[in-house]
Amino acid sequence: MGNTLCSISQQDRFLQGKVDALLTGSGIRRDAHLDYTCGIFDDDWNLLATGSCFHNTIRCLAVAADHQGEGLLNEIVTHLSEVQLSRGNSRIFLYTKPQSAKFFLDLGYYEIARVQDLVFLENRRTGFSDWLTSLGLPKTGVSAAIVMNANPFTRGHRHLVERAAAENDAVHLFLLSEEAGPIPFAVRKQLVARGIEDLKNVILHESGPYIISAATFPSYFLRDDDAAIRAHASLDLAIFSRIANALSITRRYVGEEPKSRVTSLYNERMQSLLPACGVECIVLPRLTDGGQIISASTVRQAIHDGRLDDVAAFLPASTLDFFRSPEAAPVIAAIRAERDVIHY
Amino acid sequence: MEILKPAAAGTLESSDAQVTVEPGDGKIELSLSSSVMNQYGRQIRDTVLETLDRLGVTSAKVSVVDKGALDCTLKARVECAVFRSMDASDKNIPWGGAVR
Repeated sequence: MGNTLCSISQQDRFLQGKVDALLTGSGIRRDAHLDYTCGIFDDDWNLLATGSCFHNTIRCLAVAADHQGEGLLNEIVTHLSEVQLSRGNSRIFLYTKPQSAKFFLDLGYYEIARVQDLVFLENRRTGFSDWLTSLGLPKTGVSAAIVMNANPFTRGHRHLVERAAAENDAVHLFLLSEEAGPIPFAVRKQLVARGIEDLKNVILHESGPYIISAATFPSYFLRDDDAAIRAHASLDLAIFSRIANALSITRRYVGEEPKSRVTSLYNERMQSLLPACGVECIVLPRLTDGGQIISASTVRQAIHDGRLDDVAAFLPASTLDFFRSPEAAPVIAAIRAERDVIHY
Repeated sequence: MEILKPAAAGTLESSDAQVTVEPGDGKIELSLSSSVMNQYGRQIRDTVLETLDRLGVTSAKVSVVDKGALDCTLKARVECAVFRSMDASDKNIPWGGAVR
């Protein structure tokens, strides 16, 4: 008999307990959100190695200290990449500790960015550089960046873009392309495109897998604790600073965040990390209307409760027209079906 | 033969190679990493390209992570990945030939 590789159900408390013990023993924090876990067991059903997936990422990899050098990690990574392929993901991202990163360079992974205790890799040699090239050449003059979810596009978003467009020669606007709520990406994009039509120096990009995606920043989409949010935010910003370098971006505009905890932690990280990378972080106070802060969460809540007219003053004409048109019916239905529309 | 969807064959274990193929844009794009790159990199590349050529694949993104596989192993892995990418792997597999 030899070792057995098998998948471990997320509900299997006994085996998941063994996974926890192995991860803790290797100094790895278990991620709160995993959707597939596997392990290699010996004849006596001791866990020798483990690895997990979340969306298109591979993470939480560990090999027992007395079984290193037996090629177990290779077996785990082979198995997890087959799992990813069966999900239709041929582009795979991987997280590991800095001291283990070298093993993955031998397994066909390439480093994108690293922060203090995390290295982020992908399985394509030119994945990140190809994506950077697809964004186009740096513009002349002063360039700024804005990253937004625009869920949906409000006058607050418009205010932020307008300010950046007035103060810079070019503005790269990255719209989150991850599908993460009741309003589909295609609709969000259409509303942003219409809302900024008249601002000629604004370039709209899709954020892709490298800015606030389920791969770089899972805790943006799913509830997690502050330590995880900070770690993910730092990594996301490390990647952003490479993007900023490639596009000669020297400023990033963000709106003040009074409500959402995850966004305010992200902004706080941004203010402490970006200046060191040569990017000035400019925080604008939220636009208000009649003493009320304009926020997309409030708009979603109002649509959810069927009170679109209450927030009409929050929305630019293009967004308001969309929500009053018949084509918005499926989107409104989706928002109303959602139990919690407020970003945590 | 045309690559219709992403597919992979092989493992990352020693003496094997993991080959992934994806639909390409008119040319063969090969990304190779090997534990014996300095000694056999060129030969591995030639073997992979020859096998693709014999299968009549002219447009594909191919990634090979080699762990010291022999030529015959490499050929088999490339063939298998290509056959899987066009769902030919559940029928009579024309090992060593092209699907007509």
